[in-house]
Order: sequence, then C-alpha cells, then structure tokens
Amino acid sequence: MDKPDTIRQKAERWRCDVRDPSVQTVPERHPHFLNDAGDEVQPVYTPADLDADDFGHASHLGFPGEYPYTRGIDPAMYRREVPIVSAYAGFGDPSDSNKRYRELIQFGVQGLSVALDLPTQLGYDPDDIMACGEVGRMGVAISSLRDLEILFDGIPLDSLSSVGSTANAIGPIILAMYIALGEKQGMDPKRYTVALQNDVLKEYVARGTQIFPPKPALRFTVDALEWCVHNAPHWIPITVCSNHLDVAGAGSTAGTAFTLANTRCYLDDALRRGLHIDQVAPLMRLFLNEREDFFLAVANYRVTRRIWAKLMREHYGARDPASLKIRIMGYAHGPRETAQEPLNNIVRITMGALTCFFGGLQDMRCASYDEAINLPSDEAVKVAIRTQQILAHEFGITSTVDPLGGGYYVETLANRMERRIQEIMNRVDDLGGALGAMENGYVKNTISEGASRRQKAFERKERVSVGMNIFPVKTESRPQTFRIDANVEQRQIARLQQVKSERNPHRVSAALAELASNAKDGVNVMPALIEAVKAYATMGEMCTVLKSAYGEYEPDQSF
Amino acid sequence: MNHERKIRVLIAKVGLDGHEVGARLVARGLRDAGMEVIYTGLRRTPEQVVRAAIDEDVNVIGVSILSGSHMAHLTKLRRLLEEQDAADIHLVAGGVIPPEDISALEAAGVSRVFDASSPVSDIADYINSICAQK
Repeated sequence: MDKPDTIRQKAERWRCDVRDPSVQTVPERHPHFLNDAGDEVQPVYTPADLDADDFGHASHLGFPGEYPYTRGIDPAMYRREVPIVSAYAGFGDPSDSNKRYRELIQFGVQGLSVALDLPTQLGYDPDDIMACGEVGRMGVAISSLRDLEILFDGIPLDSLSSVGSTANAIGPIILAMYIALGEKQGMDPKRYTVALQNDVLKEYVARGTQIFPPKPALRFTVDALEWCVHNAPHWIPITVCSNHLDVAGAGSTAGTAFTLANTRCYLDDALRRGLHIDQVAPLMRLFLNEREDFFLAVANYRVTRRIWAKLMREHYGARDPASLKIRIMGYAHGPRETAQEPLNNIVRITMGALTCFFGGLQDMRCASYDEAINLPSDEAVKVAIRTQQILAHEFGITSTVDPLGGGYYVETLANRMERRIQEIMNRVDDLGGALGAMENGYVKNTISEGASRRQKAFERKERVSVGMNIFPVKTESRPQTFRIDANVEQRQIARLQQVKSERNPHRVSAALAELASNAKDGVNVMPALIEAVKAYATMGEMCTVLKSAYGEYEPDQSF
Repeated sequence: MNHERKIRVLIAKVGLDGHEVGARLVARGLRDAGMEVIYTGLRRTPEQVVRAAIDEDVNVIGVSILSGSHMAHLTKLRRLLEEQDAADIHLVAGGVIPPEDISALEAAGVSRVFDASSPVSDIADYINSICAQK
C-alpha cells in the first residue's frame, strides 16, 4: 500500500485534475455538505485523513474482544449471538400488558422493559389527585408488588434474557419489586437478570421524571448499584442514557460526553462507599443514540467503547477486563419519526437499527412506527420486532465482526468525536463533575441551544424530513389511534384498595418506619425497600416516606 | 400615554409528562418574536396554571402536553378560567395530540392546537393575530 504522504499527494492531484474541473462544469447539489454535528463533510476520505489523526491499528482499533474494544467487546460478536431483541412495552393495567407480553414472547422477544405510566414513575398512587387522567396512559401502572405479579403472571423471570424497566427516580423501588417477585416465583437471583434504567441524573436536564433533589437521588440510585454488587453482580442496576440528552438537543457528541460524566458521578459515589472499580464498572451499561447522521451514529457507538476502556484503565485503574468492556444498548428510531405518513417510519427505524448492528451493540429495541402518534399499537410493536430479526438474519451483516471498522470516513468521524467528547468531559470536570455542571446550567444550556439550532436547521431545510419539510403532501392516511380502556384508572384504584385491605398493616408501617430511618441516616435503603415491597406498601406510600427524608425537586422555570 | 404593551404569554406544563424540549423551544421562540414569556416548569396543576396566568396578567396560555391527558387538563383549565373571570385569556395547546381530538378540544374552548411539526414562527403569527383582534 502507498504511504500516507504519497496518498495525500495523489488525492491532491485527483482534486485539482479531476474533481474540481468536474464540479465546475456541473455543480454539486449543495455548496457545503454538513453533518448533524455541524461539521463539513469532505467529498472523499482516504488513508491520509487517518494519518492526520495519528491513527494506529493497535491504539485506535485493536481486535474484537481486545483493548480498546473499538471493534466490539466480544471476540466472536454476532457470529456467536446477535443483538438481544428487547421490547419496551406496557399500557393500561397490568393484565392488559400481561396479554401483550405473552404475544411478544411468541414473536421472539427475549428482553422486556416495562414501560411505566407517569404516576408510577413519579411515585403517585392512582388515587392521588396528581395522577388524574394519567393512569395507564404512557405505560402500565405498577402501584404495588401485586401489579408486578399480575404483569408477569405465567412468565417466569428466567424465561427471558432480561427483565427491566425505565424506572429512574423510583429505580430502586422497581428493583426491590423484581427481587420480591423472583422470590415469589421461587427463583434464585442467579437464574434471571434485572436490567434497569435507574439513571436519575439525566432526568433533571432531559427526561423530566425527577422526584427528589439531585444529591439524595444520586445516593438512592447508587444504593441499587451497591446492593447488586453484593447480591446480584450479573444484573444491570444502572443504564446511563445518552438517548434523552441527545433528543432534547445535546446531539450525540455532547450527549455521549454528558452520559460518561454522569456515569463517573455514579461510579465515584460507589467508590466513596469503599467499593473497588472492578466491583462496580462491570455492572454498568450505556444507552446511546442513533438519531443523527447514519455514520455519526456508527462512529459514536464504536468510539465510546474506546473512550470507556481508556477511562476505566487510565483514570480508575481498573484491571478486570470486564470493567473495560462497556455494554451498549440502543433504541432505533431513525432521525425523526413523523406523525404524518407513519408507515415511512419503518424505513427510518430500519436504518437506525442498522447503525446498532454496525455499532456492535449488545441489546436493542426497534421503535414502533406509530410512536409519534400514540402508544404503540399491537401491529406496530410486532413490525418492530420483525425489523430487528430480519436485519439480524436475512442479509449476512452479522457474519463478520465490525464490517465498517477501518473505513476512512467512519474512523475519521470517530477520532473527531473522541476529541470533542473528551473536551466536553474536561469542561464538566472543571465545573465540578456532572452535579456541578448541572447546577451551573452548562448542561441545560447546551441542550437548549442545541434544540434551537436543530429546530432552525429544520425550518431552513438543512435538516430534512421527507413528507414534512421536503416533498410534503396535503392528504395523509393515519393508522387507527390506539386507545387504552377508559376504565383503567377506576380498575387500578379498586385493586389498590383491595391490596390495602388484604395486607398486614403493622408489617407495612414497621417497614415504612425502617425505610424512613434508613433514608434519613444514609444507610443503604434496599433491604428496607425489599421488606416494604413484600409487605405490599404502595408506590405512593414509599415515595412519600422518601420525600420526607430526601426533600422534593423544585421545577426549573428557566428556558 | 398610549404605549403598546407587549403580548404576555404563559407557557405551561400541566400533567405529569416531563418532556419540556418543545415547551422551552416555543418559550424561547416567542421571546425572540418580541413577546414577554413566562414558563411554569414541569408538572403544574390546572389550578396553579390559572393562578399564575391571572397573577402575571397574560394574554395567552400555551399548554404543552405529551402524555395523552390533554382532554382532562385542557377542559379543566378552560373551566377554571371562566370561573375566575379570566375568560379573555386565550388557550392554545401543543404536543402530541391526536387529530381526532382537536375538534372536541376546540369545542371545549381551546383556540388552536398545534402539532410537533409546527414551526415556532407559525405559533408566533397565530398569537399575534388573536391578540390583535381585540
């Protein structure tokens, strides 16, 4: 192969003698081609671009399953196991959702993440005034252990590769419920896997289901991590998310940087409790995004593994290879799902899913094509599962590991992203870490500015969405809006009352008193939560106790 | 003296959903369009929103809802405005609202429902037009 200098000279010759005369005769479609990170995209990439970044095979790529894990955390990757088919599902009351779960499992779903309704996510019982009109709408209502029992009726926890939930502020409570449910099903925690989101820090700046102030919320979250280290080290107690940060406006570069900063915040809290990095790092997982340009997404997934490996080894002194290999999950949406012509979203989701395969992810979900309109319909959820299965098995894209690795464009993007992510992480460090950067407003401002920039780019048609701002049409067809049963709220309230009438009130009040005192004293609350859950304390009761110990979040009115 | 007061808008999040990108984006956009904008922050009750609207003497309340509970909350907001002699405050809504619900919302006194694809400039134009009609 030619030396980089020779290639650079040859590329220069090509530009002067071939390309420039050609585009002077017939111009290109745009004067500049920009990607979603705002960078100019060159007409072609060559080894000379990689050379400019001091690219080395060993330092930047390595081999699959070896440091720095750019090409994947496993030596065999998808030749051994294709990405896990997960579904994010839940609506109405637990029996409605149980029926759908059983269908999804027949379609080949391996992992279930329970979508929770907002009252549950925010710690309100269905009879609370704040819950009015919201019960069972955005997900399923889980007001006590009884609801989780109904939700998983006939579904043994070990029949799935993982069970989990997008619980964040209430993450440790849902963890306690899964532990109690496992016991009810007579199952050793070794035999099943709980994978939670439980990433509370991003709630304050992007997702918005925070209950407590950030500092006690952080402690609460890390209680779940600490419990798992000692009792279920193969579980995933925290999945740190870039997805919501990116969508809110941070974009994937800043989104990943903030995600890694948030991860450090959780890890540092665990280390302050006396845990070693090699005890906690292997339990972490990241949730990264694919909503920007296709190749940016692929570069992001791949380079984040490299950044992680270096961070663990160089900053934290991790020695266990399990600490250096970060598992990544994705949720394929495509750049922008539209409510108009919703079937077109299937194509967007498919391309988003392809970035997950090319990015070497472990676990993924495909969105439903009607998510921009309503809760996913039955049909849309099934198409989503089939999309992932078709990609995994029909095209041969899983036959070799990291097929885009070494590509001049992808690797150049990855190198640039790595530098930017490092810069933003350093800035967060200067502000005192994730909590400091949040208090200072840096994170929220970055997100707000990004959202405005993105919206303006869309209005100027620099970012396009077919059928929306280019090739729009007036007439449109829509799928039937999927509606939940209007009586869900009443049924959920009735079940709550029944649970309350059947339980032992002394056991409940003793458990809640223990929870209150542990939360006040800064003792790990997991054992008290597990006991409260088993006594059928309700979500609202547990959160009320925790609010009096931790305080409540004050809404931010800035914009 | 006849000096023109700027249009005052309260951007409100009612219900429990935590998606505030749209609300903040519209708040910024309307401020850039020369309006006085106040944002409530997340998870306000209809009572709190109406109180703030009256205290702040706004012309328009822009409600952002993505959780699906728009019917209950917007109907209640309109009713509270009537009850508290503030029926002249315009109520507009945006977020994720199925088109088949729009006519019912309009019948319930919501002046206009925007969807997620509406440019902020359209929202500003609309608010300017309804406030000029007096």
